[in-house]
Amino acid sequence: MTLLMLLFWLIVGGTLQAAVPAWRHMGQPAFPVLLGVVLYAAVNKKTRYFVVAALLAGLVEDSLSLAPLGYSACAFLAAGGLALLLRGDFFADKAHTISWFGALCAATSTGAMALLLRSKGLVALSGGAVLWRMAGSAILAAAIVPLLFGLIRGLERRLGTWEDRA
Amino acid sequence: MMNLPDSASRRVKGAVRDGISPLQGVLRGGVRELRDIFRYVRGIGDLALENRALSEEIVYLRGEMRMARELERDNQMLRDLLGFVQRFPNKLVSCEVIGRDSTGWWQTVRLDKGAFAGVAEGRAVITTDGLIGRTVSVSDRTADVLLLSDPSCKVSVRLARSGTFGVVAGLGAKPGEQPACRLDYVLKTADVQEGDEVVTSGLGGLFPKGLLVGRVTKVEMDESGLYQTAWIDSAADLGELEYGFVAATEKDLAAARPESLVEDVLIDSETSSLEGESP
Repeated sequence: MTLLMLLFWLIVGGTLQAAVPAWRHMGQPAFPVLLGVVLYAAVNKKTRYFVVAALLAGLVEDSLSLAPLGYSACAFLAAGGLALLLRGDFFADKAHTISWFGALCAATSTGAMALLLRSKGLVALSGGAVLWRMAGSAILAAAIVPLLFGLIRGLERRLGTWEDRA
Repeated sequence: MMNLPDSASRRVKGAVRDGISPLQGVLRGGVRELRDIFRYVRGIGDLALENRALSEEIVYLRGEMRMARELERDNQMLRDLLGFVQRFPNKLVSCEVIGRDSTGWWQTVRLDKGAFAGVAEGRAVITTDGLIGRTVSVSDRTADVLLLSDPSCKVSVRLARSGTFGVVAGLGAKPGEQPACRLDYVLKTADVQEGDEVVTSGLGGLFPKGLLVGRVTKVEMDESGLYQTAWIDSAADLGELEYGFVAATEKDLAAARPESLVEDVLIDSETSSLEGESP
């Protein structure tokens, strides 16, 4: 995954996330396309590459919402950090493990974002609502992250930029 | 990034948003084209353009009708000693909805026009059905609208029938149903009934007076017993927005790029007609 490829996926991810309405049920979580890109970088690439991916994805996500700049990057770094910790035991080629992994990281990212937004009084959500939303984002990520991993990896193989875990 | 000055942060966010907005427009346009094809197949697709033009006219005519009702009431009560109060001081900028909040934390939509077209922050945004919210974040080519259904969007309103004042606040998205709002701080002695029209009061100066917000669906006494609380359904379907009209001021339009305004359809409140013109 080159930097150009990363930018491509971030633009695609940002556009898709803004086009697809958030899931009204389960606390209205957004479709975690940008998070999926960050997790892909965290699992398959070097740490510095993942950090760049998290910062850029955060920049795109915050630019497309009312969140102050940097908040989503923090949430992505938290989720990606968890991914870095777990990737040694993580079977990247198994769809169901990617699914569980995506769900766990999405819940972490949502929790971190809620913590930041609530601490600044930018959203008024109860603890129960945050937990509900974390569960919703986990379900969405469980469905979407494996698909996204497959798409990115497929494109990388076609372009010849795929390399086994760095 | 978190320590960036507000102005720099706005510029960065605006640049990213403006960079992505053409893609959003293309994607949204593609979806709309597909929808039009389906409509055409079902026999109503060829009316889409005409429908759009008529919808724009309906916005203005409904506003006129409501304004006439308001003025009649004001005249009867002899309160409006200074005469005519215009609802739309200037013009409406026609915009398409190209996206929604990408995070789901807020209830917002993104419009395809920004400062270049005369859109500024804190302006009312309406559709053919009524008020949908206000602009909160404006870049050169896009504007984000905080919808009525967002808990942080508060609108000073009054009931068209009785003139009772209150404050409408969003309740967030409700699963499987239209986002709802709540009318708070209505005096316990006030006459509030189901079906009452709720319109903007004009207090605070943020929203023009007399814009339809919604209708009362349920009324309850507040827990404290001091106020009544009324639940209202927004007049506009906030979940299915395709376009909106921003109530721009003369100052906003003066700051806009003339070439952007030529492309826009501006609705002039003084002539009651639709026209494509530069200021």
